[in-house]
Amino acid sequence: MRFVTRATDPVADPLARDPDHVWMSAEVSLWGWGEAARLLPGTGPARMQALDDAFSDLVSKSEVDDAIDVAGSGPVVFASVTFSPRSTGSVGVVPKVVVGRRGDTWWVTTADGASLPETVADPGAEDKARYAGSSLPDVLWLERVATAIERIRAGDVEKVVLARDYAVWSRAPFHPPRVLGRLIDRFPGCHVFRVADLVGASPELLVRRTGDRLDSLVLAGSAPSFTDQERDTDAARSLLGSDKDRWEHELAVRSVLEPLRNIGADVSERDEPEILRLANVQHLATAVTATVPDGWDALRLAELLHPTAAVGGTPTDIALELIDALEGMDRGRYAGPVGWMDRTGDGEFAIALRCAELSGARARLFAGAGIVSESLPEAELDETRLKLGAMMGALGAE
Amino acid sequence: MDAPEAALRKALVTDDPDSLLTLPELADQSGLSMPLLEALTREGLLLPRIDEGEPRYHPDDAEAVKAGLELVEAGLPLGELLDLARRADQAMRPVAEAAVDAFLRFVRDPVQGTAPSDEEAAARLVDALEVMLPATRRLVGQHFSRLLIEDARRRLAEDRT
Repeated sequence: MRFVTRATDPVADPLARDPDHVWMSAEVSLWGWGEAARLLPGTGPARMQALDDAFSDLVSKSEVDDAIDVAGSGPVVFASVTFSPRSTGSVGVVPKVVVGRRGDTWWVTTADGASLPETVADPGAEDKARYAGSSLPDVLWLERVATAIERIRAGDVEKVVLARDYAVWSRAPFHPPRVLGRLIDRFPGCHVFRVADLVGASPELLVRRTGDRLDSLVLAGSAPSFTDQERDTDAARSLLGSDKDRWEHELAVRSVLEPLRNIGADVSERDEPEILRLANVQHLATAVTATVPDGWDALRLAELLHPTAAVGGTPTDIALELIDALEGMDRGRYAGPVGWMDRTGDGEFAIALRCAELSGARARLFAGAGIVSESLPEAELDETRLKLGAMMGALGAE
Repeated sequence: MDAPEAALRKALVTDDPDSLLTLPELADQSGLSMPLLEALTREGLLLPRIDEGEPRYHPDDAEAVKAGLELVEAGLPLGELLDLARRADQAMRPVAEAAVDAFLRFVRDPVQGTAPSDEEAAARLVDALEVMLPATRRLVGQHFSRLLIEDARRRLAEDRT
């Protein structure tokens, strides 16, 4: 295959051309169309390594003519990987056409001379997302949370993240450009993605690799946010002062720092957590930066760090067993790494939170909550209810 | 406290200590799990008396919980039920306060000011209370039921559902 990257004028509204694959973050945005290659790594703990190998193999057999040479130019793979190594559905896609943007620099990469698709017609009137059911009725989910709390208080495990899902339907097929547009509007500061019809807006950057520099944003411990300034500030203050949330956050930060130190990465000193405010929720946030050794590309780093305590728990192995035993559903690609990587190994992977798997006029949405010893089942139920409600609103007209 | 006030207070104590239920008994009678009942209690939907540090539930609570369970079994997610209950609590508290206030000012005060003896005042107040409590329950229940039906009709007419 022959990949050609050239500078281009800004593309007015890439989403209007209904890109099949999307990554939009503050650093870089990539919009991809079609499939030059679909990489299917299967199941197992090395599925990201398998994607990595398949992509390297493809690049090594291709001719690359890259006139831009920044992180994201040339051939890229969009990847979305399952949370559990046992789940099927991990996928990597190398698009036929990619439009990229980094600051004021725009480029287009084509495979074998493919051309940029035109703007698609507006599909007209849309319906809303309608509830169809959950894998596990929430009455039972609440009891499972209570069981997890018992196990935590018994000292078997420190933290476990339990998620639940909504199946939804609509009278008209979901239109991904509209969904993505609403995600961008409603979740500013998030990484908005669409990879093989998993669409979402993740606040949580698992890893960004640029050369030998790694960035990761750890979010754990949360409180509602309010439009009323005073209530909002009060909620932020009590979040910063909450032992429960601070402990939950500390565990998540450690789950990122320890594996990085184990591979010999030079991790910079970290600051006290700050508040990251999103549309309907605010989180404790810690930015981690490190210098990583040679040979650790973005996919391998994502594999190293996944699953963090923010989506699994602490200690990881027992938390994962509990998730399996209690959640009563397959997470699929929810809470797994989602992002992109270029041929030099630079790339970004978010954790697929606030996301939905679209399938025509049906979709499956997910939300989770971190359970620690002071958790109350009904509060965790309500937290997931609000997150699911926000995602439902982003899927269709309200 | 004078006799009429004491009689009213006595009439308002509806829980016979022997009929109160422990948490496991309530779980058994209602068919709900202990973690769920504990959550409902923390949410303020169940108001147990605390007896020697242990919660004791009124038998009527078992009935209320069964009604909630019926809603859940009919398809309403528990999270939505809890949300409705919180909203109902918020909306109804000031109404309950105003109703009690009206009773005290316009039923109790006149009776106490006009009855020939404390004994007769007490008897008349207890009679009034026993009529007014169930009547209020019917009035409010019927009103809410009408609101539900009217709103459902309006929404079904305007929404293409």
